[in-house]
Amino acid sequence: MSTLVKVARYHMVQPYQYLALTWGILAFTFVVNLVIFGLVPVSHPAAATANGLASAAGTDGRYTGALSCFFIFFLVFGVQSIGKSLPFGLALGVSRRSYYAGTALLAVALAFADGLVLTGLQAIERATNGWGVHMSFFRVVYLLDGPWYLTWLTSSVGLALLFIYGMWFGIVYRRWSLAGTVAFIAAQVTVLLAAALVVTWAHGWTGVGHFFTGLTAAGLTGLLAVLALALLAGGHATIRRATV
Amino acid sequence: MTSAISVAGLTRRYRDQVALDDVSLEIEAGSITGLLGRNGAGKTTLLRILAGQEFPSSGSVNVLGAPPAENEQVLRRMMFVREDQAYPDIRVGAALRAASWFYPNWDAGLADSLMADFDLRPTKAIKRLSRGMRSALGIVIGLAARAEVTLFDEPYAGLDAVARQVFYDRLLADYAERPRTILLSTHLIDEAAALFETVVVIDRGRVVLEAAADSLRGVATTVSGPVLAVDEFTAGRTVWNRRRLGAQASVVTVGQLDEASRARARSLGLDLVPLTLQQLVVHADGWPAAPEAANLEGVGA
Repeated sequence: MSTLVKVARYHMVQPYQYLALTWGILAFTFVVNLVIFGLVPVSHPAAATANGLASAAGTDGRYTGALSCFFIFFLVFGVQSIGKSLPFGLALGVSRRSYYAGTALLAVALAFADGLVLTGLQAIERATNGWGVHMSFFRVVYLLDGPWYLTWLTSSVGLALLFIYGMWFGIVYRRWSLAGTVAFIAAQVTVLLAAALVVTWAHGWTGVGHFFTGLTAAGLTGLLAVLALALLAGGHATIRRATV
Repeated sequence: MTSAISVAGLTRRYRDQVALDDVSLEIEAGSITGLLGRNGAGKTTLLRILAGQEFPSSGSVNVLGAPPAENEQVLRRMMFVREDQAYPDIRVGAALRAASWFYPNWDAGLADSLMADFDLRPTKAIKRLSRGMRSALGIVIGLAARAEVTLFDEPYAGLDAVARQVFYDRLLADYAERPRTILLSTHLIDEAAALFETVVVIDRGRVVLEAAADSLRGVATTVSGPVLAVDEFTAGRTVWNRRRLGAQASVVTVGQLDEASRARARSLGLDLVPLTLQQLVVHADGWPAAPEAANLEGVGA
C-alpha cells in the first residue's frame, strides 16, 4: 500500500464525520424539506413563471438550497484534515509532501464518490417528479441541471475544490495562526479587488459579462477545476514548512 | 559503532530566543539515551527537529544516515512520541489501527498487552482520556511501532508510579528482544536513570554533558561533616557547591575519589555520598563556565 493511500485511509480510520455525519445531516434536511414541500401546495403556473430562472431551466422551480450545506461540509473537512489530523500524521513518520498528496487524494476520491451518489439521487428526483412533491433538492438551476455525467463532474469538481480550499486554510492557520488566516483572507479579497479595478480601468466589464453569460455549466466546471489545481499548488507550497 | 543520530552545529532561533545553540552530538545505534535538562532547555525542540517536525535555523542533522526533514526513507523508520501529541477526534483503537498501517514492524500483540497493562480501552475517545491515559496511549504506539529510531519526549507525563514502572519494564524487555535506538527525554531523572546507557544533558540550548551513564557514577561526591574536616579534605579539589550550617558543612566535590581519599575521609569522620544523576543535572548550569568542565568531559569520553 503506497503512503498516499495510507494517508487517505488514515483520514477515514473512523469515517464518522466523512460519511455518517454528512449523509445523516443531508438525509435529515431532505426529510424536513420533503415534509414542508408536501404541506405547501404547488404554486400556480403564473407564480412559477415569476420565478423566471427556474422555469427557464425546466425544473419544478421549487428549490430548497439545502444541498449547499453538503458542499460547505467539504470546506470544513479540508480545514480539519490539516488542522486536526496533521500532527498525528507527521508523528507516524509521514512527510508533509505525502501527507498533503494523500489528503488531496482523499479529497478527490471522496468528492467523486459523493458526487456520484448525488447524481444518482438527482436521477431519482427526476424520475419521481421531484419526490412526488415537485421539489428540486438535488437539482440546482444552471449548475446541476444537465445530463447525469455533467452533474457528476460538476458536483465532484465543486466538492473537491472546496475540500482543497479548506486544506489551504488549515495549513495557513497551522503556520501563522489567526493573524495569518485573517491576512490570507485579506490577500484574497485584495486580489479580487485588484482584478475588479483592472477590469474597470480597462472598461472590460462588458466583456466579462459576456464571458460569464456565455459560460456553460461544463465551461464553469472546467474553470473550477483549474482553480482547484491552482489552490492545490498553493497549499502544497505552504505546507512544505509547516511545523507541528 | 555507528551513529543513528548525528547532529552538528545545530542552531534553532525563534524570534527573540535561541532554543538550540550550536548543538553537536552523536547517538549510537542500538542504545538507550537519556535527554535531560530543565524546562525550556531545548529538549523538545531538539526532538522535533530530529523527527522532522521542526526545521533547524542552521547546522546539520542526520538520522539513520540522512537528513530527516521531508525524507520519507528516514521518517518511516522513526517514531516520535510527544508529551503534547495532538490527535484527531478518533477513538484509541482507531489511532492504534492507523499507526499499525505505517509501521511494518508493528506488533499488535505487544500493543494489546500494553493496553491491558495500562488499562486502556480501545473504544474510548482520545479526547476524553485523562492526561496520564493519553501518555499511556503514546507509549503503546511508541513501543508497538518497533521503529528503528524511537524518540520519547516526556512520555509519561501524568502517569502514576505503577504505570511508569510498567513503562520502564516493558521498554527494557522489548529493547532486549529487539535492540533499537531510543532517545528519551525526562524530568524524572533518578527514576529512569537505570535505563540509560548514555546521557545527554542540555541547558539553555547547549549540550553541557554527553557521557556514558556508567562513567558518571561517582563523578561528583557530597562530602559532609565538621567544617574544619571538610575544608581540609576538599582543599585543592574542585568544588561546585558549599553549604554550611553551624559547625557542619556540606560540599560537592568533582572527580572520582580513590581508595586513599576515601580512607582519609573516614578517618576525618566525613560522610561521602555520590551525587545521583539527578543531582548532577541540577548542577548542570554550573558546568560550562566552571573550570572543571574540561575535566568532566574527560571523564565522559
